[in-house]
Amino acid sequence: MTLLRRGRWITGIALLLLGGLYVRALVFTPEERLQGLAQKIYYVHVPSAWSAMLAMGMVGLASILFLLLKDARYDRFASASAEVGTAFSLVMLTTGPLWARPIWGTWWTWDARLTLTLMLFFLFIGYQVLRGAVTDPGLRARYAAVVGICGLVLLPFIHLSVYLFRTLHPMPIVLKPGRPSLPGSMLETLLLSFGVFTLLYVGFVMQRYAIGERSHDA
Amino acid sequence: MTPDVVPPTGGYMVAAYVVAAVILLGYTVVLWRRGGSISKT
Repeated sequence: MTLLRRGRWITGIALLLLGGLYVRALVFTPEERLQGLAQKIYYVHVPSAWSAMLAMGMVGLASILFLLLKDARYDRFASASAEVGTAFSLVMLTTGPLWARPIWGTWWTWDARLTLTLMLFFLFIGYQVLRGAVTDPGLRARYAAVVGICGLVLLPFIHLSVYLFRTLHPMPIVLKPGRPSLPGSMLETLLLSFGVFTLLYVGFVMQRYAIGERSHDA
Repeated sequence: MTPDVVPPTGGYMVAAYVVAAVILLGYTVVLWRRGGSISKT
């Protein structure tokens, strides 16, 4: 089975699981008392942010490996991961304001966490604009790798921004020192959502990598 | 102290879930079409 077909299978399974996640989150996961139903946006917003950051992490690591080893496969992987990360960061940036509006009373605020995640989105876009603008493959790969490494450097600042700055965005309640401060059923749904979105990332990247590889060979 | 009535925020929740599904399914279709067109060449 080719990489493209395997990617399609994994994406198909992940989409079925996404349907299951929707049912579990909307029907079987309890409603939060203060925020009401809007809190359930959590189960798509947080895992999409996770996948976007995973994607940029992979772009950065593949970029470092490309610069060290000069292997074009790492460049193609970074390119694939950047495109997939753009899709997940778009989910993050659209679901976030839809949650913020009823809870904070505003769609957007220029606090550290939100501004840095917007920067992450622009880095994804910039990475792809750069790849489209530079025609020489060697230069394109090197310039793109530098942008990818910048994205990797940005990730810890995004995660730690809620500790470093005064921000409206809540602190992590799962990815933090100590036990997660979330009731069991909500935590199970959140962990399922992390699994589903990670699987989606894997399926998307496999497909996108295969497409990039075939375009390169053609 | 918790409010007696949970605020009506269901519309935002539905909008977020629909937007997420549209983006993810839309990207799936884009990849499918691009993969399909390449496999024919």
